[in-house]
Amino acid sequence: MERRKFLSMTLGALALAVVPASVRAEDFRKSKPAVWSAKSVDDAIKAMYGSNDIKFEGIKLTAPDVASNGGAIPVDFSTDLDVKTIAVFQDANPEAAVLVIEPTKYSVNKYSIKIKMAKSGTITIVAQGNDGKLYGAKKTLDVALGGCEG
Amino acid sequence: MAGIKVKAKLKGGVVKVKAMAKHAMMTYNMAEKKTGSRDNANFITHITATVNGETVLDMSTSQFLSKNPIFKFQFKGIGKKGDKVQMIATDLKGNTLKGKGKIK
Repeated sequence: MERRKFLSMTLGALALAVVPASVRAEDFRKSKPAVWSAKSVDDAIKAMYGSNDIKFEGIKLTAPDVASNGGAIPVDFSTDLDVKTIAVFQDANPEAAVLVIEPTKYSVNKYSIKIKMAKSGTITIVAQGNDGKLYGAKKTLDVALGGCEG
Repeated sequence: MAGIKVKAKLKGGVVKVKAMAKHAMMTYNMAEKKTGSRDNANFITHITATVNGETVLDMSTSQFLSKNPIFKFQFKGIGKKGDKVQMIATDLKGNTLKGKGKIK
């Protein structure tokens, strides 16, 4: 078992190495590790942007009021603002950060994703505009059946 | 090795992409409960999409995407019918998932 594990990890590392550097813009998991381990939304936002001064406007967030299955909650978000990054957080799971998108010059900032939430909570989306300001949107929802299995 | 299903459609100058990555997205808590060790957690940590060598999506992700996560995104200004959207996802253990789809 140990050997197999070692082998697969080596292969994985090799596969990683062949991904051209140009394709990977910025890996926020490496550049901002604190974002991903932050337990609260406020801490995560601070780790990501260095500020909690958010204007709640300019971003559209759609999620169900009641999610029957916490394992796959559809979340749609979009913005017409000129943004550098968009980050999604929630406060129902052990850690707050869900994802960070770095739009490219081709991006139309309209996304749909599915996320897991262990219990009822609030989804917060924060985007940093090219003007440096933070814009956000919030949505609180009920989760009938938790998705993280504890 | 699992992969990513990619569907792309060009309409009104905007390419809409729908993708599904086949991945268990095992969280730390799930791993601990099911296998007794948090080290068995594994989930997609980074996803990129490219068209003709240009990046159109760059996303860092955590364990809280759903199992077999579906995501939709859009881009414009690049890609015509017949071009391929290529997607690569990397998970915590360093495995890569790949997928591509033609723009219709």
